[in-house]
Amino acid sequence: MFDRRARRKLANAVFVAFCTTTAAMAIVALAAILASLLINGATGVNLAVFTQDTPAPGSPGGLRNAIVGSLMLCAVGMVIAVAVGILAGTWLAEYAGRNRWTQAYGSVVRFVNDVLLSAPSILIGLFIYYLLVANTIGHFSGWAGAIALALLATPVIVRTTEDVMRLQSRQLRESGAALGAPLWTTIQKVLWKAAGGGIITGALLAFARISGETAPLLFTSLNNQFFSLNMGQPISNLPVVIYNFALSAYDDWRRLAWVGSLLVAGAVLFINILVRVLSKEPRRS
Amino acid sequence: MNAPVTPPQTYDCFTEAVPADQVKLEAKGLSFFYGKTQALHGIDLQFKRHAVTALMGPSGCGKSTLLRALNRIYALYPGQRADGQILLDGVNILDNGVDLARLRSQVGMVFQQPTPFPMSIYDNVAFGVRLYEKLSKADLNIRVEQSLRRAALWDEVKDKLAASGLGLSGGQQQRLCVARGVAVQPEILLLDEPASALDPISTAKLEETIVELKNDITIVIVTHNLQQAARISDNAAFMFLGRVIEFSDTERLFNNPRSSQTADYITGRFG
Repeated sequence: MFDRRARRKLANAVFVAFCTTTAAMAIVALAAILASLLINGATGVNLAVFTQDTPAPGSPGGLRNAIVGSLMLCAVGMVIAVAVGILAGTWLAEYAGRNRWTQAYGSVVRFVNDVLLSAPSILIGLFIYYLLVANTIGHFSGWAGAIALALLATPVIVRTTEDVMRLQSRQLRESGAALGAPLWTTIQKVLWKAAGGGIITGALLAFARISGETAPLLFTSLNNQFFSLNMGQPISNLPVVIYNFALSAYDDWRRLAWVGSLLVAGAVLFINILVRVLSKEPRRS
Repeated sequence: MNAPVTPPQTYDCFTEAVPADQVKLEAKGLSFFYGKTQALHGIDLQFKRHAVTALMGPSGCGKSTLLRALNRIYALYPGQRADGQILLDGVNILDNGVDLARLRSQVGMVFQQPTPFPMSIYDNVAFGVRLYEKLSKADLNIRVEQSLRRAALWDEVKDKLAASGLGLSGGQQQRLCVARGVAVQPEILLLDEPASALDPISTAKLEETIVELKNDITIVIVTHNLQQAARISDNAAFMFLGRVIEFSDTERLFNNPRSSQTADYITGRFG
């Protein structure tokens, strides 16, 4: 009797120690990344970073064009992704079950979406490069970059939207119908509101995912050393600038790369905290 | 006495038809199918105008299925199908051409679990009204107040109409759902075990509300609570295995049941 208890206690202690160690490893890795970003990047943060454009080696400069370009690419990408993602996710949750054909189509869409969800981002970049940059537009362009980012963000939003819509109770849908509301009205006025927190969480996570993506932008939007708001032309963006500057031989460029990395990491961290806060929002007033 | 484990395969049915001129809603030869499973077998039942009709019976007897056929809410789900006739003022609502949204604004429904919408108390009540009527702000205010009063909720919420409906207690939420259903001025209100999630005090309030409402609304209520059926209904039907075993005025059904199964059920020996 005592033996078995002792053995259980030992097994428990070993398991807890193992879990604690692995959790600590993950946290230490994250802390190390953040620490090195802070140590190397924080000293370089000054007003010039936000007011001057990327410099030639040896000249003073900042990241203004890259920050603005990144924001534009992500904003356009997110607009496309949110529109397509929410509508597609809603269709999968609410309309795909209608009959055999929509069910079959729905499961194909779901499968392809899951594949896209885990597709390497460089493939997305190559695909858009081939489709738009090489064969349609003919040159690197901000639009191509935004579409590549949208393609990365959409599956995340489709998936989370479908999941949170499915979580809404059957009776909530029936209540809408029982008042004579068409399904589409019930979706817009009731279900989207009820699922709103979850949908926003999904969108923010998708935004966090694309904000640091380099590979798809290398093939699409490329880079621009000047300040530009023209989405039809190559446009500067933080990930590609970081990529170029970090590999360069110039100290001031490498310093700017650290600053850029700090900004991206800070933005992602901020979004994740925001998601936490939003998803903790109490259901009752 | 122990309850019979296997119910008899054949049993007698006793139904007392409601006089034709008092019938608001009527099921005629109504059968219902969940895919290949038949849940209702040729139901014939009349629902009296401006009265409360209770549907009782053990779980799985088909009473909720019957209720869900009456406003065709089942049509949301492919594979569910009704045969026969359901006559609302003599018009068969099972016909193909029936406008379901219109039908459901005439035949309201309140569910077992309270289902307030994630919006303000005011907007919850105004939701259905806004779908079909273009009322002025003032008229809409009046309609919202009327509906909340009829659901016996006005006094509790009149100072917080802009607060979320989700913040109310369970009993208040359920009365909010009644107010929401009443606001579209339906002719019939279907209640699917509306008090089963409520405490006794909330239940009593809801029952009062139901009795008030029957003055101008025809009410059909599914309930597991026999005392509740006895308290508030005018007519009552006892259902078993997808058939109506006995249907008459409530007093007769409870005091002098003709079917032995009904008698067993209401005395608690079975079901």
